[in-house]
Amino acid sequence: MSTETATPEREERGFVDRLRASPFLTELLSNRLAIFGLSLILLITVMGVGTRLAVFVGVLDFGQLLDTQFAQQQYYPPCGDATLTGWLSSLGSCQHFFGTDAQRRDVFLRTMYGAWLALKYGTVTVAASTVLGVGLGTVAAYYGGWIDNVIMRTMDVLLSFPSLLLALAVVAVFGTGLWKAVFALTLVYTPRFARVVRGAALKVLEDEYVEATVALGARDWRVIVRHVLPNSLAPITVQSTLNFGLAIIDLAALSFLGFGATAGTPSWGWMLTKGVENGLINGLWWMSFFPGLFLALTVLGFNLLGDGMRDALDPRMQDAVD
Amino acid sequence: MRSTEVATGTGLATAVRRLATAGGAGVVVGLVALAGLTLDGTLRAATETTFAVGALLLGFGVLGWSGSVMAGRGIENMQRYMDTGSDWTETDSRRAMARISGFGVGVMLAGSLATVLL
Amino acid sequence: MISKRYIFKRLLLLVPVLFGVATLVFSILHLSPGNPATVVAGQQASAEEIRQVEQRLGLNDPVWVQYGRFMLDAVQLNLGESWVIRKGEPVTSVLRWKFPITLELAVLGQIAGIMFGIPIGIVSAIKQDTITDHLSRVGALSGISIPIFWSGPLVILLFSVSLGWFPTSGRLTQRAYEGGAPQTTGALLVDSLLEGNIIMFIDAAWHLFLPAMVIGIYSMALISRMMRSSMLEVVRQDYIRTAHAKGQGRKITLLKHGLRNALIPVVTVIGIQFGSLLGGAVLTETVFNIRGIGMLLVDAITDGDYPIIQGTVLLFALVFTMVNLIVDLTYSYLDPRIEQ
Repeated sequence: MSTETATPEREERGFVDRLRASPFLTELLSNRLAIFGLSLILLITVMGVGTRLAVFVGVLDFGQLLDTQFAQQQYYPPCGDATLTGWLSSLGSCQHFFGTDAQRRDVFLRTMYGAWLALKYGTVTVAASTVLGVGLGTVAAYYGGWIDNVIMRTMDVLLSFPSLLLALAVVAVFGTGLWKAVFALTLVYTPRFARVVRGAALKVLEDEYVEATVALGARDWRVIVRHVLPNSLAPITVQSTLNFGLAIIDLAALSFLGFGATAGTPSWGWMLTKGVENGLINGLWWMSFFPGLFLALTVLGFNLLGDGMRDALDPRMQDAVD
Repeated sequence: MRSTEVATGTGLATAVRRLATAGGAGVVVGLVALAGLTLDGTLRAATETTFAVGALLLGFGVLGWSGSVMAGRGIENMQRYMDTGSDWTETDSRRAMARISGFGVGVMLAGSLATVLL
Repeated sequence: MISKRYIFKRLLLLVPVLFGVATLVFSILHLSPGNPATVVAGQQASAEEIRQVEQRLGLNDPVWVQYGRFMLDAVQLNLGESWVIRKGEPVTSVLRWKFPITLELAVLGQIAGIMFGIPIGIVSAIKQDTITDHLSRVGALSGISIPIFWSGPLVILLFSVSLGWFPTSGRLTQRAYEGGAPQTTGALLVDSLLEGNIIMFIDAAWHLFLPAMVIGIYSMALISRMMRSSMLEVVRQDYIRTAHAKGQGRKITLLKHGLRNALIPVVTVIGIQFGSLLGGAVLTETVFNIRGIGMLLVDAITDGDYPIIQGTVLLFALVFTMVNLIVDLTYSYLDPRIEQ
């Protein structure tokens, strides 16, 4: 390729410059809701990674999170007081900040660790479906014809199934467990990425410069890696962000129904199930309240950020009304 | 490089040929899968799995086909109307689904044939 | 006007839909690992018992024979017998009484979602970028972000446990009626009215209120988002600008010209998300301990009761298709330009 003389470094700098000047970022950063969402995500990430590191370094004993040596119904309310006012007034001198569950495990620590699990399994789900979706979408866009048709119409049919029910069907065939739940959800989410990537890739391929490159005989993979992928990055990122929250909810839902996390795992979904089962009706609210709260906050964070990104991306929405 | 699905083939003969090609591909892939699965276990289990995968594809294809016919016009019209710029068409969708169904039938055939012949 | 022929053609398409789903459902069982006979006979069954079960279920026949038999049975509405949950009972009769429970819940939830979602979306669009708009958008996002299995328990804690306004779970208070629950349709609200039993109707409605609201919040969130963006989309179109330029007030223009057109994509969303509503029913039923199709499906997956799983999936597909038929007819009503 004689037309491409740019060295890697120069391309790198060009990319950063473009990013700095991009209307996408300016637009996004001026969106207060999106910034709020981003802060939520950062907070949860610090929580999760921090707790994981604490366990790794040895400050926190992982066994303490799983320990079941105490008999059933040996719970301890947040700061020793089950009422909300009592909790707020005794925040200063507090033993179990969020109380303990029925096995007397500290809800605060388990919730913190739950953030790590949610991020971990959420990342794997989203990353796997992104990779699959990028693969299928690019192939569909690049080769066109019946390949495109078969891939994309299949994705359409998969998309028309309700996500939780499709995931349940996959679980019914392949069995239960957190990793199988991740597998099921990857299947559910892949079509969304394939569709977005194909759309973006088609736009790139229409570009005159890229057309010329192809006409000059560039290899398929080279065109895809150098031109199609970098230019599809923004829509892929938006789609990942939006689906991250959904993935975390769906994973928790599968755990809640008993098909995901197994007994004892400090995952938010499982803590919710157990917390509801073990005493919500008797007023032991803290066991399920806190994991649920952090789950909802995380998902809200991703949805707010994703929404903001989409608005920043889609120029049609900006001049909606005068 | 990118090509568009040939738009000429609308006749019955073309449709049959499309199905047959997909079916043939299905038989070949099915037999290969069957051979592979038999190496790993019994012929009976391999037949069952191959047949079930074929049924999965056939069911998916038929479902998608009827879904496109059912929702097709509505979606197409809505797109034209809303100007969403998507290029979904009922014809494309039906063709893709026919291919998948044909392939599925081929795989199912391969699964059945093997036991009858062997 | 919608012709009878059009509706008939649509209904005819149910045949391939059900054929497709039945084939899919057949493959679900045959792709899953493990011998069904051990599930049916139980863990402690002897080899002899397992062989008998295999014989009875025809598991020794070649797989295509099993497929043919399954499809023939399905055509005659014979979906086999439950293996575990209601051992020996025909799947169709299990579904017959479970389904109205879920349908009742889902329809009420959908109604709640539409009743709140559409006005909120409209207000949000008219007052775009004001505090009202921001509040309702964050509200809608929260509705999507807050999982039913968290909001459900919270709602129970607040309204049932602390305030005691609503029952915590179930479908009826045992003392509210004498004898068994009526079994005409299976949907309590309908049955109690048919019997003229007002007390039972109120009791059933009282039990259904919270679960329907919890399901409704989710669909409300989706509908109001779609309503807002579709309203804004319509506003940008020329004829609205023309009407505006001709001196009509902005809000009047929006409501007069925009609403009908803006509703079209919203109706699609309502149709499409009815499926998620069924998914939501699975979670809601678990939270409120309502023993409908959702809990049945969860139990069936847990216990490996495949005939029940197959029946449930078939039923869901049927419902989903019917809902989309209704959506399709609504289109034609909303916009006669959409040809049939």
